[in-house]
Amino acid sequence: MTAATEKHLDEELRDVLQELSNVAMGRAADLLARLLENYVILPIPVVNLLERAELNMALSSLEEVKSVSAVCQGFVGSRIAGEALIIFNDTSFNDIAELTNFAGEITPQIELELLMDIANILIGACLKGLAEQLDVSFSQGQPVLLGQHLSLRDLVTDQAGNWQRALTIEIPYRLEGRNVDCDLLLLFTEDSLKVLEAKIEYMME
Amino acid sequence: MSIPVLICDDSSFARKQVQRAMPPDWDVEITFASNGEEALAAIKAGRGEVVFLDLTMPVMDGYQTLERIKEQDLPAMVIVISGDIQPEAVARVKRMGAIDFIKKPVDATSLKNVLAAYGLYTE
Repeated sequence: MTAATEKHLDEELRDVLQELSNVAMGRAADLLARLLENYVILPIPVVNLLERAELNMALSSLEEVKSVSAVCQGFVGSRIAGEALIIFNDTSFNDIAELTNFAGEITPQIELELLMDIANILIGACLKGLAEQLDVSFSQGQPVLLGQHLSLRDLVTDQAGNWQRALTIEIPYRLEGRNVDCDLLLLFTEDSLKVLEAKIEYMME
Repeated sequence: MSIPVLICDDSSFARKQVQRAMPPDWDVEITFASNGEEALAAIKAGRGEVVFLDLTMPVMDGYQTLERIKEQDLPAMVIVISGDIQPEAVARVKRMGAIDFIKKPVDATSLKNVLAAYGLYTE
């Protein structure tokens, strides 16, 4: 397999990454469901190899959304590096506040706290789940606020980081019966892809 | 006589994981399906007395598949194998007729225990 030099992702590699993500996102969803006491609808994770200019394609589920808030957190370990982004549709915060029994006025500061709390849970659990299955370990950097009340276009243009091509895994979480949309996007550097390939080949033996 | 066993998951990696976790000396005839529609066709053709069913799948997901199996009263013992480990997911599939739930990634011991509990496999 030489996916790192090819434009398209090897089908077997894509299948395995999708399945590993499926298990990892399930664990993260379980924690979120317990926190909010609400069933989380699990999607099929979307795995892609994207050029920087195509990043908006990895966020297709938020295409129609007018205003978003986002947090990113870097991770590195076992020669794999990347960034995790949590992108919230801003209309989600009313329902999240209600589910966490928050009764006051929802100020940008409160939104930020809710955003950080949920980002911590989803990113932490998802990375841990992936790492365990791949038998690697990641250390996570500090979460950084990318912005509040941005358009998705501004978010993608301003904050896409210093990379040309990346392996992307998009996991759109939805809460059943609630108006909560949030996307977890994992970006892996091109160099990480070779390491992931080797790990996965080993797992398949 | 071999038991007709159906493994239904959209991921070929996941299907292989289930197959590898099955007791090596279990006398079965295995069929694979990659979504609920294919699974229903296989069950109707008598190829799924025991079904290992994933939940998150395109075309027809595991919940819809369980619904059809119940509606059409198809002869299948369904064991759900899923990454959706929310207690609500487990409760739902059991209400919908699944005999048991195994969380992903599936391992040989939990699979063997479930099979033994329903008399589907004895050492």
